[in-house]
Amino acid sequence: MMRRALVWSLSGVLVLPLVMLLLLSVARSWPWPALLPAELQTRQWRELLAGTGGLGVIVVRSLGIGAGVATLATTLAFASSRSVARHARRDQLLVLLHLPFAASSVVLGVSLLYLFLRLHLAGHIAGVMLAQLVLAYAYAVILLVGWWNTEVQSLEDLAVALGAGRRDVWLRVLLPLARPLLMVCLLQTFLISWFDYALTLLIGDGQVTTLTVTLYQYFSSGDLRLAATCALLLLAPPICALVINHRLLSATVSTPLDLQGD
Amino acid sequence: MTDSLAPILRAEGVDVRLGGQLILREVSFALEAHTTMAVVGASGCGKTTLLRTIAGLLVAERGRVRLGAEYVDSLAANRRGIVYLNQEPLLFPHLNLFENIAFGLRLRRLSESEIRKRASRLISLLDLVGMERRHPQALSGGQRQRVAFGRALAVDPALLLLDEPFSNLDAETRASMQHLFKRLARERGITALFVTHDLKESLLVGDRFAVIRAGRMHTYHDRREFCADPANGVDREVAFWSTLARGGSGTAP
Repeated sequence: MMRRALVWSLSGVLVLPLVMLLLLSVARSWPWPALLPAELQTRQWRELLAGTGGLGVIVVRSLGIGAGVATLATTLAFASSRSVARHARRDQLLVLLHLPFAASSVVLGVSLLYLFLRLHLAGHIAGVMLAQLVLAYAYAVILLVGWWNTEVQSLEDLAVALGAGRRDVWLRVLLPLARPLLMVCLLQTFLISWFDYALTLLIGDGQVTTLTVTLYQYFSSGDLRLAATCALLLLAPPICALVINHRLLSATVSTPLDLQGD
Repeated sequence: MTDSLAPILRAEGVDVRLGGQLILREVSFALEAHTTMAVVGASGCGKTTLLRTIAGLLVAERGRVRLGAEYVDSLAANRRGIVYLNQEPLLFPHLNLFENIAFGLRLRRLSESEIRKRASRLISLLDLVGMERRHPQALSGGQRQRVAFGRALAVDPALLLLDEPFSNLDAETRASMQHLFKRLARERGITALFVTHDLKESLLVGDRFAVIRAGRMHTYHDRREFCADPANGVDREVAFWSTLARGGSGTAP
């Protein structure tokens, strides 16, 4: 009984805000204190799907920035996490990698802005991506560093003993072994970029608008219905990512790097 | 065919230091082609260090290692033509049995038909037919060791280094693997250094013998010479088992 109540209340807490967003996104008028909208309309969705106001472009730009940051962060972090994991000062390096998270994004953005203005990167997509990369890369290294354990080292040595060069070790052993974790890393770093607000706003200098920034703008302007529609759109990729993440993690758990008793 | 009397492996005054401690001191020996040298010694005496140094996974502080006509000290591990078979039958967990055995063949860029031919022959030889698509997690310890052994043999190494390869197996599987190794070593003309801490195993698999004590290596040309040295404790081991077989009791040698 208690368990069922808990499940229902948890589901309610998680689902209710989504239902509210969904209703807002199709509401024409919703006078207080009515529980449901008095009139419905599809203007917000039509506007969104038709790309009026440049929203289509913003969505594509946000996806592009997210995909780019995730790919760069994961690729760079996979190679460098190996060096960090086997470095004599591994712990100190990990403390350094946590620094971007110790400061808020606003502090990081302000400190980067001065440099990026001098480099003419502020107000450009490349600048926003570089700024987000600082956070995403640090996160990716922290996520991947634990993977480089002695079992992986033994498999590297084994491949070398069988005649594998550096390239073969990476392509035939390390990448296939780490693939599920790399997919998780790609998705997580994509989310870091996708939901970033402060860095994009500061480094983008109003010239680079992403969906997250647009959502804040809609809220600020008081257009709650369009903001709700935008919020639902913003949630779609993360929900897909979470589902894929869950599947990948399940697959990783069911087929571990099982070397016990080998 | 290589002249079986010509040394294929020669270590010359090899010193190896690990973590500041001298593990191997002035190790010198020669091993002829198509022979197996059994290397025995207590745990921690430097047996594994010797194999890892010859394999190129550790760097000697002093001395040289020659394989055939070539000094291999400056060669990367993957260019020495030496295969190191671990104490644990380490298999690539993302590859099935067939691909594990074919791993070294694919590195050598052989044709697909040649890879299939060679790997299938070994799978049949090692009695693993029907398990080709199984992943390591679905294999027993003995099967994994056979796969690791097959993968090592597949690339026809100039030298095979075996580091207590059967120590984690149950008695029955271990005995069958020892016999399988002996048979394949004879049939395929394998040159091997076989490290073990088990005197019986060393006597079964070895043609030449060596003992490592306190980092120094003592070599013996044949079984008789090895058994005759009282320092190796073979006589004590034989006496112990004879006493047990006669129904008596005794202190383990």
